[in-house]
Amino acid sequence: MPLTKFWQVNSRHYFSCIAFFICITLSVSLFPTAIFAYTEQNSNLAQQSRWQKIEQTGENQDVYFYAWGADSQVNAYIQWAATQVKTKYNINLVHVKLSDTSEAVSRVLAEKSANNNNQGSVDLMWINGANFATMNEHTLLLKQWANKLPNFQYTDPVNNPAVTFDFGIPTQGMEAPWGLASLTFYYDNLAINGSANNQLPTTLDELLVWSTQNPGRFSYPKPPDYLGMSFLKYALVMLHQQSDETIKAQLNQMATKQNTQQILMPLWNFLNKLHPTLWRHGQHFMQNGAQMRRLVDDTELSLAFTFSAPEVPAAVKRFDLPKSIRSYAMSDGSLSNTHFVAIPYNASHQQSAQLVANFLLSPQAQAQKQKPSVWGDKTVLIQSTLSSDQQALFQTDTPHPSALPLNSIKRTLSEPHPSWVEAIMTGWQTRYGVSQ
Amino acid sequence: MTSNIKTDVFTRMVKLSPRFLLALLLLPIFAGLISVLLPAFGWAPELEQTSIGLHGFYALWQTPGLSQMVTLSVSTGLISTLLAFIITLMILAAFFNSPWLNRIQRLLSPILVIPHAAAAIAVGFLIAPSGMISRLLSPWLTGWELAPNGLFPHDPYGISIILGLTLKELPFLLLMALGVLAQPELGKKLRQQHKVALNLGYCPMTAFFKVILPSLYPLLRLPILAVLAYASASVEMPLILGPNTPPTLAVAIMHWFSDVDLNLRIKASAGALLQLTLTGGLLALWLGGEKAVKVLFSGLMTNGQRRYGSAFWQTITLVLTTLVIAFILLSLIGLVMWSVAGFWRFPAVMPDQFVLSHFQNALMQMSEPLFNTLAIGIITTVFATIITLLCLESEQLTAKPMSRFTSLVIYIPLLVPSIAFLFGLVWMQQLVHNQTSFFNVVFTHLLFVLPYVFLSLSSSYRRLDPRFAHVAASLGASPAKVFLQIKLPQLFSPILIAIALGLAISFGQYLPTLLAGGGRISTITTEAVTLANGASRRTSAVYAIMQMVLPLIGFILAWLLPKYFFKSAHR
Repeated sequence: MPLTKFWQVNSRHYFSCIAFFICITLSVSLFPTAIFAYTEQNSNLAQQSRWQKIEQTGENQDVYFYAWGADSQVNAYIQWAATQVKTKYNINLVHVKLSDTSEAVSRVLAEKSANNNNQGSVDLMWINGANFATMNEHTLLLKQWANKLPNFQYTDPVNNPAVTFDFGIPTQGMEAPWGLASLTFYYDNLAINGSANNQLPTTLDELLVWSTQNPGRFSYPKPPDYLGMSFLKYALVMLHQQSDETIKAQLNQMATKQNTQQILMPLWNFLNKLHPTLWRHGQHFMQNGAQMRRLVDDTELSLAFTFSAPEVPAAVKRFDLPKSIRSYAMSDGSLSNTHFVAIPYNASHQQSAQLVANFLLSPQAQAQKQKPSVWGDKTVLIQSTLSSDQQALFQTDTPHPSALPLNSIKRTLSEPHPSWVEAIMTGWQTRYGVSQ
Repeated sequence: MTSNIKTDVFTRMVKLSPRFLLALLLLPIFAGLISVLLPAFGWAPELEQTSIGLHGFYALWQTPGLSQMVTLSVSTGLISTLLAFIITLMILAAFFNSPWLNRIQRLLSPILVIPHAAAAIAVGFLIAPSGMISRLLSPWLTGWELAPNGLFPHDPYGISIILGLTLKELPFLLLMALGVLAQPELGKKLRQQHKVALNLGYCPMTAFFKVILPSLYPLLRLPILAVLAYASASVEMPLILGPNTPPTLAVAIMHWFSDVDLNLRIKASAGALLQLTLTGGLLALWLGGEKAVKVLFSGLMTNGQRRYGSAFWQTITLVLTTLVIAFILLSLIGLVMWSVAGFWRFPAVMPDQFVLSHFQNALMQMSEPLFNTLAIGIITTVFATIITLLCLESEQLTAKPMSRFTSLVIYIPLLVPSIAFLFGLVWMQQLVHNQTSFFNVVFTHLLFVLPYVFLSLSSSYRRLDPRFAHVAASLGASPAKVFLQIKLPQLFSPILIAIALGLAISFGQYLPTLLAGGGRISTITTEAVTLANGASRRTSAVYAIMQMVLPLIGFILAWLLPKYFFKSAHR
């Protein structure tokens, strides 16, 4: 039976082959694992002792936290965090309330130019986007600390670029993520009542149509306000949905003299049509999102938007918005980004600032922050990295009628390259900054 | 022996104090101005710019809307001052020597202590499309179910700013004028002259303009110029009530100074110089206008005409006064209602429910700003009062009135726009010491508190009957003893009023606190301005009310304490 014999011979070879391969695979796969395990253990140990050192030196000090302070809920949350770090580390967390984060940026810049390289007044700051880009460009931030915070692991950094990239720029451990934001719209359902010419707009095009039919009931905060810029970026990204891939790709690259004109033209055309229909005929714009919210409460505006959805039900509970408010996400996409905390390179209390940043990233602090009654800012932690006890912290009760219904965000739009902020801002200022 | 040495120390201290005062006021302002002047011409080593040139000014000229900014600053400053001045005169003329003048004074004087930011917030609540006026008329008259498309606040013409400034400066000018008329000798003389004019058949208003005004005006000139300088360069009112496409020059400068792009500071410095020129020009224009009026109307003074449509003007004044008072009252009522309002949808005149949660929430977060406000206010005011008293004492010890130069210098912080020198000053402070923002704020507040304390104390101090001091001295009392045991007790009440005024001025400072403190020192006022343009209307109402209550407490104490002490003295 030549066939059987052949099989026997072959199968013998075959088995030895398999055995060989198994050996090879095993050794190949085990060897590096062993090495990795070894180094990982080592670096873990190193990190642990590094962290212990930070804990020891960082205790019993003041931390000046420069953060935008025009929202009482955010302020109250920071105060809560201050009491927590006080009991935990005996750190005095002082919230320096800014009306614009750029104030802190210019302060650090001024200190650098005055050669103040280790006595800086800013210890920790709330930052993202253009301000981060500026500070990064001038190397004003402490590097490689955020990625070493013990609680950073809960953000699943390997699979979650949202915590290591800020508007497309790698953070290189300069920023610890703090919260996640998506552009969410809200409206007064007594004012937008669904009648023939008053249907709730769910896309950018519908928004223009609705605003034309209901003039004066919508507007956006004046650039360079962060929220106003976000609306313009949302419009810009949406207007390029149908464009060529090569043009679309420009949005993720540096804005240059050559491409600015071409990329921004659709935006200006859109705004030229939109502005005459806006609140105050687009001749005057509100300063910020909080003022826009107040105008909705005043019933001057019927439709507005925010970057932190839970702020809406919280405002209704505080009587700052009427009961008839409802939240929703635009069906054509929601602009999303992460906000961070960073430590200036010359901060006086760097270790203490890291302790605070780590606390802000803890499941306890993140869960507290996500509670609608507290602040309602979406957590940056990934649930799968948490223990079940930690996950339980994030359970919430039934949502408020004005809250954004679960899973309403169907499509997220990522932020364009931060250089576009400057380009949009300059273009906006020359076109609309001075009313005629 | 010991008493001799003590006397010497005291006398020396007293004699040095005017020079100290001069240095205290002049050095920071000049240092500040120089630190603005140099960058304006391109010399800013910290920005690696050392080429002297005009590029800061080129950048300024190329700013879109610069002419609108300038026009807005000039027109709001000039018109509001003019309006406040005219209405003050009309009220004085119509109610001179009538009990109504005191009543109006009592109604308006609390407004004086309201900080500009709080006043702006209150006015904003009133004139907004969803404000009290609109609510009172809707929907029965207007048919509005939603707030209408309005113009105010933030109108491009600056009407809201003018309204806010006028309402705020009117009580100041009125009280200044009444203060002049309250001086025993001058007041008595003027009242008698007024009576003579009435007997000669002049109608009361005409008599006021022909007889009182010429003697009164020279004493009102400095307060008016201070109002004009402030109005043309203030930041709080235009920030809360003004337009932003573009804002007033002062607000724009503030934004440039705090911009991320440090190179904007050169443009901002150039802008500060422009602001300085504008304010200087306005002051010159006012003084020129004064001369013109004098020349044009001097004939009218002596033409013997007894009345000019007096019933008509009397009615107009009455209507205007009522309007002003009604406006202020409505603003305040609106402010109080917002601070306790639950849901309050337009066009309801009253909130659906009243809640105290806004006060509770705000008070919980208020402890630190409140402490800062009080600490800075008290330290600054006590220091200012001591220096003022020493300077006034030196005047009496040397028996020489203060030189014209010195008395002018005291007003300089009121006449030089703060935005023009504060940034330079802060820059200097950063060079000298970095970490003591609290001290910086106190020091900067002192510049603004000192003039008011001095103004408030000087007339009563100079009016002190010198015979008490002479008798005490002839009985062998040392100058220090005379000062402490004879003069100060007699001045108890004016000193308390001056302290209350100083506290009120310190409490109300926005720009100096913000800049000198580097944003680190939060006070009730900085919080109120930050909140006014954002956040909840209810929370900002709470802060505005706190801003009003604090100085009021000071004045009530200044009013009550002497009564209490005098009562015990009588017993």
